[in-house]
This record gives sequence, C-alpha cells and structure tokens, in this order.
Amino acid sequence: MVFILGVNFPERNLLKKSLESFFGVGGNTSSRLLARFNIHPTCRVGELANKQVLDLTAVLSDMKIENDLRREVLNDIKRLKETGTYRGRRHALGLPVRGQRTRTQIKTPVRLNRMERRL
Amino acid sequence: MFPTRALLGRSVWKGPNIVPLPLPRTLPPPPNTPPIRTQKRAATILPNFVGLRFAIHNGKTYVEVQITEEMVGRKLGEYVATRKRFTYKQSKNK
Repeated sequence: MVFILGVNFPERNLLKKSLESFFGVGGNTSSRLLARFNIHPTCRVGELANKQVLDLTAVLSDMKIENDLRREVLNDIKRLKETGTYRGRRHALGLPVRGQRTRTQIKTPVRLNRMERRL
Repeated sequence: MFPTRALLGRSVWKGPNIVPLPLPRTLPPPPNTPPIRTQKRAATILPNFVGLRFAIHNGKTYVEVQITEEMVGRKLGEYVATRKRFTYKQSKNK
C-alpha cells in the first residue's frame, strides 16, 4: 500500500489510473505528471521510489483538485443562479445549459442539473 | 434554442460589443429617472453600467433589470428571458 496525497493505493494498481482517481486529474494531467518525474506510463504504484511518491504528493497538493475544485465549480454555478442569468435558470430547471435541443435526449442535465447541484 | 451570443466565442480583435446607449450624464442618476430602454440585448455590460436600471426588450415587453457588479462582462439579454415556460391550457370546446 502506498500513500499518495493521503489516499491509500494498492501496489499492483497502475499509477496513471491511480492519479486519475483524483477529481480534477484526467488523462492529460496524469501523463504530464508522469513525464515530469520520468516515470514510464505503465508503472505500477508499487514500483515507485519513495522520493517519487513525495514529489507527486507535493505537486498534487499544489494543484486545485478534489474538494477545492468541486467548490469552485459549484460556486460558479451558484453565481450564475444568483445573478439571474439564463444559464443559471437552466441549471436550476434541470435543462441543458448550452443551447442543446430539448425535444429528446436530455438525460444528463435532468440527472445532474438541480437546485442543489452535486458533483 | 439560441439564448445569447455570450455563449459563443467572439473574436478578440473585435473587443467587447460596445453599443452606444443613452447613459445618464450624472452618476449616480437622481432618483425617479426612468430606466434606460433598449432592444440591444447583445450589448456587453460595461463597468460604468453598475447601479443603473435598464429596461431590456424581451421580444414583447421591456423588463427592468438592476445592474450589479457581478453582471459586468456579460450581455444585457442574459438577464431577461425571451421564452415563457410551457403551461398546458385546457380547452373547453373539443
């Protein structure tokens, strides 16, 4: 078991996938991180040296990920709602925000866009 | 549905859409000044609009909007809906 940013990862897991389990770290960011510390893309978590783990944790803790990022996104949506914009209203109504058609296929906004939006 | 131009990108070389509006000479405007009537929904809200009242056309009537600081950089039309919510009206004679 290896701790990266306070989260425990099993040693046989792919490091790239483990990094992507953080909210706000996707494929692009994780491959950049691996390249930055000269780690090959198929590296497992158990193969990491201790210093590399510390480096990764240091960089990740500087980035805006997980709850900070969630809060930022939710605040942006909340600001749209409070100022009474069209976009904010669409968020509150559970309808698509960016001008998509609503005749069919709006399952994603119906599921996600709520008054109390969760991420 | 095409809500507002603000959702689409605008070329940087054009700058913000600055529309000549009849802004009051004195700031803040004296009380009981009528709101600024306009149909220019695509006009960008500039920092000197803050605190003014606008009557923005929604296609049928003019809706009053008080401009606050958070609205700067967006368009006037974003704050006035152009569509009514659908409501079913029961018809009596079938």
